[in-house]
Amino acid sequence: MKRILSSVTDGKGFDIGLVALPLAFLFVMSGLPLVYNVVMSFQEVDMFSLGSFARPFVGFRNYVDLFSQPETRPILFNTALFVAASIAGQFAIGFGLALFFWTNFPGASWLRGLFLVSWVMPGLVVGAIWNWILSGDFGVLNFLLRETGVIDGNIFWRSDPNYSLWAVIIANIWLGTSFNMILLSVGLSGIPKDLYEAAELDGANALQRFWTITLPMMRSTIGAIIALGLIFTLQQFDLFAAITSGGPNNTSNVTQYWAWDLSFRQYDFAKGATISVIMIVFVMFASVVYVRSTRHEVRG
Amino acid sequence: MTLQIELNGVNKFYGAFHALKDINLAIEEGTFVALVGPSGCGKSTLLRSLAGLEKISTGEMKIAGALMNDVPPRKRDVAMVFQSYALYPHMTVEENLTYSLRIRGVKRAEARKAAEEVAATTGLSHLMKRYPRELSGGQRQRVAMSRAIIRHPKAFLFDEPLSNLDAALRVHMRKEIRALHDRLNATSVYVTHDQIEAMTMADHVVVMRDGIIEQQGRPLDLYDRPANKFVAGFIGSPAMNFIPAVVGEDGAHVALDFGKTQAKLALGRGLPPGSSVTAGIRPEHIKVVAEGQGAFDVPVGFVESTGSATFITSATQPELTIVETGRGGVGSGDIIGLAIDPVQLHLFDTATGKRIEPENGRIGIEPPRHLHVAGHVS
Repeated sequence: MKRILSSVTDGKGFDIGLVALPLAFLFVMSGLPLVYNVVMSFQEVDMFSLGSFARPFVGFRNYVDLFSQPETRPILFNTALFVAASIAGQFAIGFGLALFFWTNFPGASWLRGLFLVSWVMPGLVVGAIWNWILSGDFGVLNFLLRETGVIDGNIFWRSDPNYSLWAVIIANIWLGTSFNMILLSVGLSGIPKDLYEAAELDGANALQRFWTITLPMMRSTIGAIIALGLIFTLQQFDLFAAITSGGPNNTSNVTQYWAWDLSFRQYDFAKGATISVIMIVFVMFASVVYVRSTRHEVRG
Repeated sequence: MTLQIELNGVNKFYGAFHALKDINLAIEEGTFVALVGPSGCGKSTLLRSLAGLEKISTGEMKIAGALMNDVPPRKRDVAMVFQSYALYPHMTVEENLTYSLRIRGVKRAEARKAAEEVAATTGLSHLMKRYPRELSGGQRQRVAMSRAIIRHPKAFLFDEPLSNLDAALRVHMRKEIRALHDRLNATSVYVTHDQIEAMTMADHVVVMRDGIIEQQGRPLDLYDRPANKFVAGFIGSPAMNFIPAVVGEDGAHVALDFGKTQAKLALGRGLPPGSSVTAGIRPEHIKVVAEGQGAFDVPVGFVESTGSATFITSATQPELTIVETGRGGVGSGDIIGLAIDPVQLHLFDTATGKRIEPENGRIGIEPPRHLHVAGHVS
């Protein structure tokens, strides 16, 4: 007993304790629910069997049923579009801003810090604000587009099936851009200045320096950001709840919102779990990309 | 010989800070020039201005006859070897070497051939597929140089390229860089804070301090006839001894002031009587002789020996450093006589630090008359 105690205070036991504590926490708070969720996707679950774990096993029936539903494919497509467009928008604007602030004009770091405000805002608040901006009759966005002559009539962003998903995408890009910008800024500041000087003396112009120095040196940062972006956009729930509620007619519905809708509004817990399992596969893929790209740091 | 680099009245300001003050420099083609000085003297700023990485505020800068003031770095056709080497970490050695060629649109096969040729001369052939992080310091240094060589630039600019290497490798690379310069018949500008590097490598040494050129010329000229006290103290190792001195009433003698001790030396010409000067004598130009046999006697403070040379520091104020080849046999506390060849004595104006040139080229030393040697370490 004494040996175990002393090992905890100043030996290997302490190291094991440091690792064991978060592992136990992760297992109880994340691992078990995950497993429970996977098991549930192979069971028949209704309001009455919700209380017990021993429920009828149905094999892949939930999966088969899910994919035979007419709304499944559009919702999966919406999810893909939402993720791709959000990441593309957040990354492009975030990278642009990061490069802009990198020029280090007076007040650059101060302004860059201000940009983070958008990221710390709760999704529901962002959703509420964008509801006003995107509003069909009195929205500021419509006003701007109309006055600049881009559109003739008002677009009903949230209720028009052609635009409803884009309404959420626009809000999500606004929400995630600053996070991309900050991470990319950090990546940019990690590139030694003398590389640019060497490239400049080697005859490279600004565009060539961007392609041959900046982008390759940012590879690991970019990989990490895309992977994190994939995870964050697949988690984005608040904006859907606040702006479109997945409507109209599922045109802006995505898997993460649908899973919640199925489980907690339609009480079809098995289907909700099934969708979650499909999403887990994607998120795990993104996690692998993230871990790999952060491991491949290229530094002189 | 044509002028490869020309600077006329170049000034550089950083806000109110005057970094380069009226720099005039003319470098002939094929010359190895060293810019040397203590940190903050402006030597790196001058080099970076030549590269175009810093814009000069006023004056005229020409490379190969063409005015460069507003030409961007990529169009100056100069190559630079950075202190940090600045190798592209995401490229292999071969890609590092061919970068400038690929930027210029040279075909891949052609670029690779050029890289192989350069690598063969710098001993990198077997490392072409490695990344910089897989190389040793000396190998990285070679890649940095090869990257410059492959371009056949109008001038090579070196920014303290050896400061990250260990002492033995530094001495070796010194020779290699110089040999390379001779083989390529290149024009090189080499920045260093190490006067030994400047002395051993360069044809022409430019000593800078506080943004001005204190003196420039051939290395041995700087050593033999330093224009002022700063250059005299900066060039040569260990540094020159400086002793305050007063010109005697007759104007033909100078008294070295060691506090308690005074050593009187004859001057070969008249100087204003009573004027204070600073006498300079290099440690290697002082001979240790038996007590009473030299110009004056001093007590020995401490003795350090490197095996090949003995460094003797006198117990006087100011201290004198004496370098003797061999081991001597002098110990701390001994009284030794010092003989000075009068030709080796330098005189500087105490107020301005400027060199006082003897008119007939000789400063004589009188035979010792009074030897008020301090008996204890002062």
